[in-house]
Amino acid sequence: MEINEIIKPENLVYDKPKLMNDNPMHYCPGCSHGVIHKLIAEVIEEMGMEEKTIGVSPVGCAVFAYNYLDIDWMEAAHGRAPAIATAIKRLNPGKMVFTYQGDGDLAAIGTCETIHAANRGENIVIVFVNNAIYGMTGGQMAPTTLEGMVTSTCPYGRDVALNGYPLKITDLLAKLEGTCLVTRQSVHTAAAVRKAKKMLRKAFENSMNGKGTSVVEFVSTCASGWKMSPEKANQWMEANMFPFYPLGDLKNID
Amino acid sequence: MAEEVKLMKGNEAIARAAIRCGADGYFGYPITPQSEIMETLMAEKPWETTGMVVLQAESEVAAINMVYGGAGCGKKVMTSSSSPGISLKLEGISYMAGAELPCLIVNVMRGGPGLGTIQPSQADYFQTVKGGGHGDYRLIALAPSSVQEMADFVSLGFDLAFKYNNPAIILADGIVGQMMEKVTLPEQKRRRTEEEIVRECPWAAVGKPKNRKPNVITSLELDPAAMEENNLRFQRKYREIEENEVRYEEFRCDDAEYLVVAFGSSARICQKAVEVAREQGIKLGLLRPITLWPFPKKAIASYIGKVKGILSVELNAGQMVEDIRLAVECQVKVEHFGRLGGIVFTPDEVLQALKEKLF
Repeated sequence: MEINEIIKPENLVYDKPKLMNDNPMHYCPGCSHGVIHKLIAEVIEEMGMEEKTIGVSPVGCAVFAYNYLDIDWMEAAHGRAPAIATAIKRLNPGKMVFTYQGDGDLAAIGTCETIHAANRGENIVIVFVNNAIYGMTGGQMAPTTLEGMVTSTCPYGRDVALNGYPLKITDLLAKLEGTCLVTRQSVHTAAAVRKAKKMLRKAFENSMNGKGTSVVEFVSTCASGWKMSPEKANQWMEANMFPFYPLGDLKNID
Repeated sequence: MAEEVKLMKGNEAIARAAIRCGADGYFGYPITPQSEIMETLMAEKPWETTGMVVLQAESEVAAINMVYGGAGCGKKVMTSSSSPGISLKLEGISYMAGAELPCLIVNVMRGGPGLGTIQPSQADYFQTVKGGGHGDYRLIALAPSSVQEMADFVSLGFDLAFKYNNPAIILADGIVGQMMEKVTLPEQKRRRTEEEIVRECPWAAVGKPKNRKPNVITSLELDPAAMEENNLRFQRKYREIEENEVRYEEFRCDDAEYLVVAFGSSARICQKAVEVAREQGIKLGLLRPITLWPFPKKAIASYIGKVKGILSVELNAGQMVEDIRLAVECQVKVEHFGRLGGIVFTPDEVLQALKEKLF
């Protein structure tokens, strides 16, 4: 059988989501952002919400998220995405609205906006990518940087006496009455990707069903910032990040 | 139907005019002396009538970013605050100027710096017309001097903001916010439909239909050549606004030998000072800038060679006086008179200062 006889639509088992364009990504090899972008695109398509979705991108590595997913976007000031998403959703209740934020954006400079949007139970999805480091600015300490972890602004390792403790912001958000789904996922294996997509879909459905705020945290790697190979970064994440940020649902109200 | 005339505070007039002009949303945080704006809106419950959203935010920072979100969808949205709160909003205001988003901001000024005082002041002139936030941007700044203008400038501010895709600000002060006067509110306008927004604001992020490219609301551009082009576009727009939107009012200026220039509530006091001066045989006139930016440079320059001196009367230590001096290019003697910290001058004090500084 010739190869051209095999390449037919009916034999297609996997395809890039249509919402993902062909712009070259600026993300580093091994970065989790690309997979998470793809999952969001797939969920929007599967829900048939391509024309009704508005994303809010952060300041951080994902600032250019709007370059890769062909939907309408707003680029937020650092940390302010949940406030922006609040107004978009309140003024357009029929639209599907999500923020995409890193750990510095969501858990440091934007803590106030994050907590209050979730506490009001805004019908939005907060996608939280936690790689325990500031990627865009070159590897500085994040609010979620683990104790002892080396970054460019804690070059001798995070010292709690100096820097305080890593912030489990998701645990905090799960305690709020306004959240309906708070879950911690990862995308480092095929099985993890499948599970994460299921929860992401539930989060987006919650937002359209008026159930309150859904938060999907992705415990992620930053191979460049951690100064490791992508493979080593995944191993390090499993050994160090997962014990402190255990995967699973913190809250899932049906 | 007879005209509906009501007695109300300036702050209340802002709130009622916002509902009447078909605003889609208000996002604010309480601060004296402007809290009546949100209090009135919450009491009126416009979400049950016009569908206007009113939300008390967790901070001024959140409120201005809610405005960013609403404006990014092409909605008519606004916020209000007083001086310290406006300082917090400047980040968001700069981002909106950079993203070319229309919105209305209200500053009911109080005395500063810092927490300062809750008494009236005009010390945020520099902050308003010289930038305030980072970057080369301008706000269309309207200075009301009556409760009627508080009401009228809501609609005017939105119109100008949407005409130029730029934030507009009503720069009021604690006097005009708190004083009660009779006011005629505008007729109730309906809010724009989704279809009208898509037609009038084709740039708005409202969900991407198949037949257009994604709309992205952003002020970010890392390519310096493209960023310079963006800035040049902003500057062309600002020159156009300077050309078309200057507003001011003159009072007894025809035969004036001396001129006072004052805005907002200071102009009300100066109007009385002009009347008292005329009784004393002093030919004094008042020029009241209504737009602080664009500043009525040409109107003020037209008094070169006509008046012996100009007194800039402001509730601050001397801010607008700099723009008056630039307008007359040192060809007229220009002095400043002001009171600080929430103290308001009397017409007699204004006249006294005129005599001391210019006679």
